[in-house]
Amino acid sequence: MTLLSVQDLKLAIHGTEILHGVSFDMQPGQVFGLVGESGSGKSLTAFSAMRLLPDGARPTGRILLGGTDLLAQTEAQMCAIRGRDIGMIFQEPMTALNPVQTIGDQVAEALVIHGAASRAEALKVAREKLDRVGLAGDRFPLTRFPHELSGGQRQRVCIAMAIALRPKLLVADEPTTALDVTTQAQILDLLKGLVAEEGMGLMLITHDLAVVAGIADHVAVMQSGRIVEQGPTEALFRARSHDYTRRLFAASAHHPARTAEVTETPLLQVQDVRRSYALPRKSLTGPAPRLEAVKGVSFTLRQGESLGLVGESGCGKSTLTRAILGLEDTQGGTIRLDGDEIRAGAMTPSLRARMQVVFQDPYGSFNPRWTVGRLVAEPFHLVPTPSAEQRDRVARALTEVGLKPEDAQKYIHEFSGGQRQRIAIARALIVRPRLIVLDEAVSALDVRVRAQILDLLAALQASHGLSYLFISHDLHVVRAITDRVMVMQSGQIVEQGQTETVFSAPQHAYTRQLIAATPVIPSEWMTENDTLV
Amino acid sequence: MLRYTLSRLVSLVLSLLVASVAIFAVIEVIPGDPASYMLGMNVAPDTVAALREQLGLNGTVIERYVSWLGGMLRGDFGTSYTYRVPVAELVAARVQVSLPLTLYALVLSTVIAIPVGLIAAARQGKPTDLGVMATTQLGVAVPNFWFAMILVLIFAVKLRWFPSGGFPGWDKGIWVNIRALTLPAVALALPQASILARVMRSSVLETLSQDYIRTARAKGLNRAQAVLRHAFRNALIPVLTILGLQFSFLLAGAIIIENVFFLPGLGRLIFQGITQRDLIVVESVVMLLVGAVILVNFLVDLAYALVDPRLRSRA
Amino acid sequence: MKGRLMLILGAVLAGVFALAALVSLVWVPVPVEQLAVASKLKPIGTPGFALGTDHFGRDMLSMLMVGARTSIAVAILAVGIGMGFGVPLGLLAAARRGSLVDEVVMRGNDLVFAFPSLVIAILITAVFGPSATNAIIAIGIFNIPVFARVTRGGALSLWTLDYIRAAEVAGKGRARISLEHILPNIANLLIVQGTIQFSLGILAEAGLSYVGLGAQPPIPSWGRMLAEAQTMITMAPHMAILPGLAIVLTVLGLNLMGDGLRDLLDPRLRRAR
Repeated sequence: MTLLSVQDLKLAIHGTEILHGVSFDMQPGQVFGLVGESGSGKSLTAFSAMRLLPDGARPTGRILLGGTDLLAQTEAQMCAIRGRDIGMIFQEPMTALNPVQTIGDQVAEALVIHGAASRAEALKVAREKLDRVGLAGDRFPLTRFPHELSGGQRQRVCIAMAIALRPKLLVADEPTTALDVTTQAQILDLLKGLVAEEGMGLMLITHDLAVVAGIADHVAVMQSGRIVEQGPTEALFRARSHDYTRRLFAASAHHPARTAEVTETPLLQVQDVRRSYALPRKSLTGPAPRLEAVKGVSFTLRQGESLGLVGESGCGKSTLTRAILGLEDTQGGTIRLDGDEIRAGAMTPSLRARMQVVFQDPYGSFNPRWTVGRLVAEPFHLVPTPSAEQRDRVARALTEVGLKPEDAQKYIHEFSGGQRQRIAIARALIVRPRLIVLDEAVSALDVRVRAQILDLLAALQASHGLSYLFISHDLHVVRAITDRVMVMQSGQIVEQGQTETVFSAPQHAYTRQLIAATPVIPSEWMTENDTLV
Repeated sequence: MLRYTLSRLVSLVLSLLVASVAIFAVIEVIPGDPASYMLGMNVAPDTVAALREQLGLNGTVIERYVSWLGGMLRGDFGTSYTYRVPVAELVAARVQVSLPLTLYALVLSTVIAIPVGLIAAARQGKPTDLGVMATTQLGVAVPNFWFAMILVLIFAVKLRWFPSGGFPGWDKGIWVNIRALTLPAVALALPQASILARVMRSSVLETLSQDYIRTARAKGLNRAQAVLRHAFRNALIPVLTILGLQFSFLLAGAIIIENVFFLPGLGRLIFQGITQRDLIVVESVVMLLVGAVILVNFLVDLAYALVDPRLRSRA
Repeated sequence: MKGRLMLILGAVLAGVFALAALVSLVWVPVPVEQLAVASKLKPIGTPGFALGTDHFGRDMLSMLMVGARTSIAVAILAVGIGMGFGVPLGLLAAARRGSLVDEVVMRGNDLVFAFPSLVIAILITAVFGPSATNAIIAIGIFNIPVFARVTRGGALSLWTLDYIRAAEVAGKGRARISLEHILPNIANLLIVQGTIQFSLGILAEAGLSYVGLGAQPPIPSWGRMLAEAQTMITMAPHMAILPGLAIVLTVLGLNLMGDGLRDLLDPRLRRAR
């Protein structure tokens, strides 16, 4: 028997059609993956089923849940269905819980609101459910508040809340995107276990093909408000009959052609760098405790080399990056670029000009009130250059990153995320640095755009003889673009070596754990044409 | 929680100290001799000397500050130059008018504003909301003392429902006094209620756009349940800040509005003090008012911690 | 759309009074120094006195025009003081977050916020003598922390953005970044706050003048006109109603402008795609 049947779902928001006739069926006890890039309409499809759409949205078609057409229900009827027949979890666990209510009350509320239990009974069920999602009572009493939990723990609370009434259908909208890879693996395992145990259907919305490959029985690929292809996961992934699916696969497995020559000359030498912060005092007397973010890190980056730095959030890689950029003091050790010492607040312009940076956020990286020309020219502050030459070089840099010289007159809001990262690269190139620090530079991009930017970076490295320090939490990307890689955990580099060696034969337990947790598409599903990742 | 309370308590004491220094300093920088300033021109030198003695002006700045502060801590605010009675007695009599008036207005303002703001937010964009927004926009622009005059014109002069001024005194019973304070309290409260209602509305709307409201809706709560069970308490956090500020505004407003209604409160006392150059009275009343406001801000800080568990666990 | 409407309506309202104030510099219907006891307390609509006269026979329309000048001048100068000191302090505090400067600026702000501003204004004017100048200073002092706080808040959220990092990597110092990147991007906030403080300044000036601590005779001001009207409220209600309406409409106009500007300039609304 079909659990959920979406039939010719169309959705218009303020008159603009976003979904153009989406149809699919879901069976009970099955994981149904809905994959697509940002803006493909995958989340709106889920929100249509929940009938939690933004103002001005008009869905048409039919969404049948066990025979009931959800689109034909009144709001009051939907309130009775939500939480009882369909549970939902969201992307951002940090903000998904009410900060002023205990986790016990929030889980129990799901039962109380549907009249399924008295408050006392509901709290008892809440305890069971929290135990079930891995938050045991001794460490996580019901009286805990959300701010006392980590992101992964909060997502577990959200799951407990969603399954409190044992709904037939669980909708998960990018449930692990905001989490670290090891936490992601645990949450995915938990979801898989729940589906098997409770026999409910799970609709998993994600942008990540590898996540789907690992968990979904059935998959539908969405592009611009349409499902372009659907079927059993393995068959679909092996066949890839639709062109868009093929392109998605190619992009996610993309390995840019790299021809750069690595020399033996050291460029960046980091030696025993330490950085700690004062924490708020725990008692009224006594010294403030300190958080050691970076505990004695040493490495060398050679000229022409592309060096990766991977680690999960809070491992200290951001702090280390800021120290290397000369934006933050250190408490010990030295950082040398080309033999000259980098110290926050004491760097000559010519030293600074040898190193530039590209950041993650394509939206926050540019002053919205400046023209692109002025933005790209900003690093000229370091090397006084006549304005005519500045203009020429801005035009050339824009051309090199695949934009047009005329784009210099435009403002940043006229560009897409991928184009903005190109502009950020142009800005980094403009003073012809030796080293470019890429701080999660492709993490916010969709997979196809990401592949293009990686190609651009590889080409620029070859033509300009650049060195890259590539910081990322994404092992796929690091594997694709770096010669050597370092793995960082709790402020220390636990392993470093040739990228291929580290990935194929990891020595440190943490590296192995990271690699094991990273979702992959099984290699036997790929053909020889695919570049294996 | 204890740590938080302690840290707030420390800042309460510090604020009071700094305030007392500031007020003392303002009086100190009066050009010339305070005694001659208070007595005006054409006074015999020995009269000035006598007053200097009485004011305790014959010591170093520090000595005078310490003795002023010490006096206040013991409840001794000095002796009024014009009334020839202890300032503490004067103040005690006048507080009986100003404090009830301020609290009356505070209660009115809160009781009106919170539901109005909540309803406006719940019906965002609907006629009710637009009506509330237009009315409060006007209310914010009205000076309370002018509003008071208009109220007198309508409700005291024309309709004769309330007295146009005066205060019978608490020994005459509660209701006559409440009646006497009603027009002043309304005049004070409505402009402030307009501000509070707008803050409440925007705070609730802001809260409604948060992710946890979506989580609550996904659990099966309807819009009203989501507002009452989840948005309300979170929305109160910024409202508390405004409530603390309101006390300060209402207290200051009370001082001005007492002039409209001929109420024998602290406001009348301070203005008489100013015209009669009775600096001891001015200094003491200002210190008292500032102290009251700082104390209320302390209480607001404690209320934050009750509403927001994140504050309780943080330092 | 709604923002634009509020902005236009507010600008028209506030503009009328600003214009009246400007015109009063060169022309008024009847000079306000001219007392004519014979024509005192004339009601609205009396020929020669469009809005009637007061208890000294002065023309109400002329008084209101000159009064607008006082109110607006005091409020503008008080906002100027607030911005002039508050904005640099806020920028400095944000640029050196957590430093001693930041700490001093913020704690100082908390303190000034904790003070009932009107009471302190009363204290200042009581001690230094009532005058328009002292009213400006008293109101202006309380504008400083407001602007410092708004500036610091806006600046702090910008300091976390990557374009500031990029500017630092381009070797720019904090002062230069504050001027080139921060200030232009918080200008909207400051304009909106400026309008709000302007309207609060008009209310505060009216309050101080009403209790006799603002502009002194013979300079007319709306607050003092109200104080003088109080005893004649039954005989000549127009004397009380007109200056009050002038205050309400000016403040309303400024508040509408502020809200309208906020809607139009709010980056969250503007960047929403």
